[in-house]
Amino acid sequence: MEHARLKTIAYSLLLMTAFLASLVYLAYPIYVIRPFRHQGPRELALALRVIQARPMVELVCVFCALAALLLYLRTETRRSRRRLAIAGAALVCAFAALSRVNIYELMFHPDTHPLFSSARQAKIDPDDKVLAVKLGGSARAYPIRSIAYHHIVNDTVGGEPIVATY
Amino acid sequence: MWTRTSGGLVLTFHLAGINNQNFLMRDDQTGSYWQQITGAAVSGPLTGRRLTLVSSDELSFGLWAAEEPGGTVLQNVAKYASDYAKKDWEVKMLKEPTVLSFADPARKLEARTLMLGIRAFGASRAYPYDEVVKEKLVLDRVGSESIVLLVGPDGQSVRVFHDHIPGVDGTSPFYRTLDDTQSHPADPAWLKQAASTPIMMDEATSSQWNFQGCAVSGKAAGACLEPVDVIKDYWFDWRNYNPGTTVYSR
Repeated sequence: MEHARLKTIAYSLLLMTAFLASLVYLAYPIYVIRPFRHQGPRELALALRVIQARPMVELVCVFCALAALLLYLRTETRRSRRRLAIAGAALVCAFAALSRVNIYELMFHPDTHPLFSSARQAKIDPDDKVLAVKLGGSARAYPIRSIAYHHIVNDTVGGEPIVATY
Repeated sequence: MWTRTSGGLVLTFHLAGINNQNFLMRDDQTGSYWQQITGAAVSGPLTGRRLTLVSSDELSFGLWAAEEPGGTVLQNVAKYASDYAKKDWEVKMLKEPTVLSFADPARKLEARTLMLGIRAFGASRAYPYDEVVKEKLVLDRVGSESIVLLVGPDGQSVRVFHDHIPGVDGTSPFYRTLDDTQSHPADPAWLKQAASTPIMMDEATSSQWNFQGCAVSGKAAGACLEPVDVIKDYWFDWRNYNPGTTVYSR
């Protein structure tokens, strides 16, 4: 009986650890790398390291959480605790899924398939500003009012792959 | 603007974060993170590598179209066009808060003072945009070299050139010859004519030069000055990534 109780505690601890790790790996980079907040060099470096490790860590968390849940449900009979464990494991899965969402691209929708018109056909005010580039004899302009929204345009000009940024 | 090749790969970038209001990009191919203003990889497998800067100009559309009638322009994405910045966006941006300041009242620099930043010849130097536009032509030094900041015939576009005329020893003072009181920057026909009109003259060869930095008459006719890359940026951002920058004042 005591052995079973210890097992239940161990499974719940594993589930809680997976939950906390998953939450921290999701939330810390969001907390640090958010707009209108000063980013210190050390915390930014740490947040970026967390991001690099995050896919693997979240995967491990999901695996541990699901394994712990299955084992926990075999030993725990109280309905409220079982529900809590299921909710915890579900949240770990949700955190793992959310960690793959690029919130910046949700805010500033990327221009994934840039289209271009000729200078003569473009309907832009003469005093509107553009970022202009000339490569391999090809001239390209990026109106600042649109690129300031998308921020990044992956392009090829005159055969040279470039990224226009603003 | 950067080339998007590194380590033998053609990279595709996405907006992926922010570092003190300068954004971070992530490439699909390696998952590395890159700082927009420096082009340096700051995290991931390509850490330490730098993208190559692509020379670009910030020009008024009318002037650019006059210079490059065969050029092509990025189209608006119809789905999001209504969310794009409005005509007066630059004025509104001046009131937006910043997380860093570096304000310097003695030099009349506020966090969002627009600057023209130059990193060249072993130094970094910044020029208040409004001051340059007011002066129309600025002769100055960056590091060991002399440069010319030249305001275009539209009164708002700025190009920078190395003050070294091919075949002439040393530097040559330039002075502006365009009559700016007669400019019509909102008139495409006038801009088309102005784009090819000489805008300055140099003392060494008495040649006339256009806004592309090329001599169109005089002893230096056919020669072009070497362009110097310039970034238009807010003071706080420029100062943050160029802590050793000096600032021009008349």
